[in-house]
Amino acid sequence: MLDAIIKAYNEAVFETDKAAAFAVVNAALADGMKAEEIVFKVVIPAVEEMMSNITKDPDANLAQHFMTAQIAAEVTEKMLLKFEHPPEIIGRVVIGTARGDLHSLGKRIVMGCLKALMVDVTDLGVNVPAEKFVDEAIARDAQVIAVSAMMVHTATGDGGARRVRQILQERGLEKRFKLVVGGAPYRFDNELYKTVGADGWASDGVNAGRIIIDLIKEVKGEVMPS
Amino acid sequence: MTPLEILVAAVTGTPASRIPIFCNLLDQGARELGMSQQAYYANGEHVAAGQLKMRERYGQDNVWSLFYVGKEAELLGCNEILFSEDGPPNVGDFVIKTYDDIAKLEVPDDLTAHPAWTETAKCLKILTDEVGATHPVCAYLTASTTLPALLMGMDKWMELLLTGPADVRDELLRKCSDFYQKEVAAYRTAGANVLVYSTPFGSTSFVGMKRFKEFSMPWMQRDLAPGGVGSIVYYCGMAPFNNVIQQVLDELKIGVYYISPLADLAEAKAIIGTRGLTCGVIDDISLIDWTPQQTAAEVKRMCEIGMVGEHFLFGTGVMPLDVPEANIKAMLATAFEYGKYTGGSS
Repeated sequence: MLDAIIKAYNEAVFETDKAAAFAVVNAALADGMKAEEIVFKVVIPAVEEMMSNITKDPDANLAQHFMTAQIAAEVTEKMLLKFEHPPEIIGRVVIGTARGDLHSLGKRIVMGCLKALMVDVTDLGVNVPAEKFVDEAIARDAQVIAVSAMMVHTATGDGGARRVRQILQERGLEKRFKLVVGGAPYRFDNELYKTVGADGWASDGVNAGRIIIDLIKEVKGEVMPS
Repeated sequence: MTPLEILVAAVTGTPASRIPIFCNLLDQGARELGMSQQAYYANGEHVAAGQLKMRERYGQDNVWSLFYVGKEAELLGCNEILFSEDGPPNVGDFVIKTYDDIAKLEVPDDLTAHPAWTETAKCLKILTDEVGATHPVCAYLTASTTLPALLMGMDKWMELLLTGPADVRDELLRKCSDFYQKEVAAYRTAGANVLVYSTPFGSTSFVGMKRFKEFSMPWMQRDLAPGGVGSIVYYCGMAPFNNVIQQVLDELKIGVYYISPLADLAEAKAIIGTRGLTCGVIDDISLIDWTPQQTAAEVKRMCEIGMVGEHFLFGTGVMPLDVPEANIKAMLATAFEYGKYTGGSS
């Protein structure tokens, strides 16, 4: 039965059909499947499957990324209310768009995936000053600071990730927090993330989840840096 | 031949000495005039002066009447633009915050009477008077399927498009399409002769092929039907769209395609052939870090691919402010050198 549920759920997500995805989940619950099983055996593997599919599929598109993240986040949120015990959180992330940038789509996709992957995410919003990224990361005991930027000047300028890195250096916080970036300019220049002082980047919002989880584990000392 | 005649020759495939060469310099105009972005964009005379001075300095064929993309949002009620000295102005406050705001959204009956149009009109008047008879004067128009992103933010628009109520979505699209129709008529009347139709949802990088056919195409048809596709350039931001060119040619009959730097230029040229104009667009983000030699090599490579069979234009995206002047000069010098048709075009 589990295989059939996984297959039906994955198909619904791939077709960006939220109603169909929820129908699969609701039917599984009605058949006695536990919320924990739905999240850990259906939703999270589906996000991981989607990461792989999107990378391979030349027709993968922004709408698909968006819906994958939204469906996963919404299903997870609903299932968490039914959990017998609160789930273990993998880590914490603060995320926002760089100073001067109001583009929020990429950030929202990343947030959706992270929530489904059991990462606690704090949304700092758009047009976020570099100081706020660091202050909020400290206040929330995050492991990763994620800075989204859709324009060249907000990606490379002194008010964005570059400044966050500078503050981390000045305050001696570089071992405590990892810095990731994302957004259109990084897709054109795959080495740009290094120029702005980031520890990582992802070409799309869905794969950002994987990069961020790796960095969380690195900060926590669960894996050695490569 | 004038640059405008060279452009027309490239579109129609008639003989010309060289390819058209476009370089889209916008925010650089403020630097050119030694003023802040906000002061520069507050006055259409500044923008026109900046465009004319930059054309004089670099020698590209085209000038722009575009201030910044958020100008369209201002015509629809946006009162806050976020200016920066490092890059383009941004919409600072979205007109649509809730679905109820969609019902309240009003498309002005006469766009040209709107205060936000005044400076654009001033700019266009100067540009058309000065160079309109000889040079391409470009205007930027956002498609109905993309304009909502400027009015409510891309994530909220995606949410409405993909999961929201269809009647609300369609009401917004109808208003945006009506706006486009009025806007394109206003630009044509004011003398713009290259109309860049910005339609990122016309790329399957944004929506899948099914949604492209069932959603993007019908709305593009609605946008373009009353005014036609004369002088229209199909542009999807920097998103690739080679896989839909055939359909756009067949169904929309658009004749000019501004190809993504991420797409295979040779493939695009092969699809379009002599049925339209293929615009090869340099990756102007990489242009920030390339050397002038790397820049020249890339321009040469693009010309070698694109000029076969003529019907080719060399162009840029919206050049970031960080692109060094040496690279702009190297790019244009190489385009003029390798963009020549020896002995005139055949």
